[in-house]
Amino acid sequence: METLGFLMEGFAVALTPYNLMFALFGAFVFCLPGLGPANGVAILIPLAFTLGLPPETAMILLTAVYAGAMYGGRISSILLNIPGDEPAMMTCLDGYPMARKGRAADALAVSAIASFSGGLIGTIGLIMLAPVLARFALTFGPAEYFALFLLAFATLGGITGKNPMKTVIAAALGIMISTVGIDISTGTQRYTFGVLELYEGIDFILAIVGLFAISELLFFVEHRMGEGREKMQVGKLSLSLKELVTTIPTQLRGGILGFISGVLPGAGASLGSFISYTLEKQVVGKKGRFGEGALVPMLTLGVPGSGTTAVLLAMLISLNITPGPLMFTQNADIVWGVIAALLIGNVLLLVLNIPLVGFFVRLLSVPPMYLLPIVTMVAFVGIYSISHSTFDLYFMIAFGIAGYFLRKLEIPLVPIILGLLLGPEMEKNLGHALVLSDGDWSILWGSPLAIGLWTVAGLGLVLPYLVGPLLRRRMNAAIKESPVSD
Amino acid sequence: MTGFGDRILGLGLLVLAVAYGWAAQQWPEPFGGAEGVGPETFPTILSVVLVAGSLYLMIKPDPDARWPVGKSALELLVSVLVLVVYALLLEPLGFVIATTLAVGTLSWRMGAAPKRAFLTGLGSAVVVFVLFNYGLSLSLPAGLLEVH
Repeated sequence: METLGFLMEGFAVALTPYNLMFALFGAFVFCLPGLGPANGVAILIPLAFTLGLPPETAMILLTAVYAGAMYGGRISSILLNIPGDEPAMMTCLDGYPMARKGRAADALAVSAIASFSGGLIGTIGLIMLAPVLARFALTFGPAEYFALFLLAFATLGGITGKNPMKTVIAAALGIMISTVGIDISTGTQRYTFGVLELYEGIDFILAIVGLFAISELLFFVEHRMGEGREKMQVGKLSLSLKELVTTIPTQLRGGILGFISGVLPGAGASLGSFISYTLEKQVVGKKGRFGEGALVPMLTLGVPGSGTTAVLLAMLISLNITPGPLMFTQNADIVWGVIAALLIGNVLLLVLNIPLVGFFVRLLSVPPMYLLPIVTMVAFVGIYSISHSTFDLYFMIAFGIAGYFLRKLEIPLVPIILGLLLGPEMEKNLGHALVLSDGDWSILWGSPLAIGLWTVAGLGLVLPYLVGPLLRRRMNAAIKESPVSD
Repeated sequence: MTGFGDRILGLGLLVLAVAYGWAAQQWPEPFGGAEGVGPETFPTILSVVLVAGSLYLMIKPDPDARWPVGKSALELLVSVLVLVVYALLLEPLGFVIATTLAVGTLSWRMGAAPKRAFLTGLGSAVVVFVLFNYGLSLSLPAGLLEVH
């Protein structure tokens, strides 16, 4: 009951006209394709402070920007194969092929609905679980977190590439990049080579924008010169209510799974969307709907706990609140304000999204030869306005070139980003575990929970290797049989 | 020879992994002695993983990708060059001029008519500049166009 009371107070704050105005502004501006949520929020955090906005308005603005940018990210994922942020990467995998079949409008509409239901499930879950959260988080020790992170990488093996070893290499590279900078626990300078800009480490936003947006530009240049690129047929919105209904179970599963991994601090964003994507691929694959560019996988965008937690964290940290189980008691008013803002943001976006699908689709029928350079420019602007340093721009270009070569060599990029994001947490948890055990490494597999996680991780890495070739053969056979082929 | 690309990559990664692991062993013992893990523990593990991965790549490489040759390789180099020059000129020339040139050149090289390409560059540059400087009050460099 206390919970409901808090929520009502949160609504009262979020629904004032002043705050609503900012919410609308944020949701609209950052729908612009190419400007991902990470960029959007990163740009807006300093803005919220320079404008001297009260904390609750700032939070609502950021939530709306985030939600708007997520939608924008999906648009570019689906139509251009450029993911706006890391949870949206999964969208590329299925949205882009769908768009190439002329069903872009459907893909966008489903993604809007999926993200609405995902967001809703996530927020409702948060409201119900909030009081329990504190106790649950305590049973997960550092060793279990370490194993959980390994599991996150292992699950990638099955979906991102043909060669699991290349996934391992990519993950190792990503984590290695994350070790650059001053070591938090000892203050040792690692791999900084005396360069001042490297002391604070390499910003993952640089890496994401470089690896994806810049390498996409290079790929486009190469292929246009070679054989030319298919013209994107957007097509009419041909989605029936019945088709929507069939996606409901998927949306529920995706939402709940995403939420579960979302509440585990640090594991949220990417883990949720990957795991639920893999699960759906399996569940749906069995029913034989997989090959036809099923709508289902769109749900991954809806994974709620995911990106939402990241924004929550960014907002909370910028408001000087230490995230963790204690915040629900120590900063109850602000936390509930954020939750209310999330709910409102989700409703607002659904209302805006459906009628706007047509508008965005037209926006993106701009030929890529104009659009891609502009998107690249926006990437430059986003990176430049974070630190106002051209050093970061060179770094981004370097990541872009590296991304081009890695993609050519079929080294998946997703584990690199995931490694960059999770690396510091992994190392911290490893350190804590070993301090607890006095340097005894067996603590890492010292509890039933940890052993379970290790086992699943091991299976996740080995199984695709064994089952993969078999599955691919079957899929090829299925594609040959069906008249609707790529 | 097949798998040339993967073998080269494997070799490069092997060098990187060894250098990375070796560098980690050179750091001084942190003040107060090692408590379970030092700053080098985690990097050492990563280096071992990457050594294993790169050896695997060299022993069992995948078939080669098709690499661009001739004209498209040249266009790729030009694009990279445009990006680097854009970053280089952003501050001295100012956002609007540098962006017009960069976006214009890129979309011209991608096949747009030169006039339309540079107009697109100019238009997008002005819109973004106005939006950021006046709408969001985040300053982009004005460069040559700065009003004193």
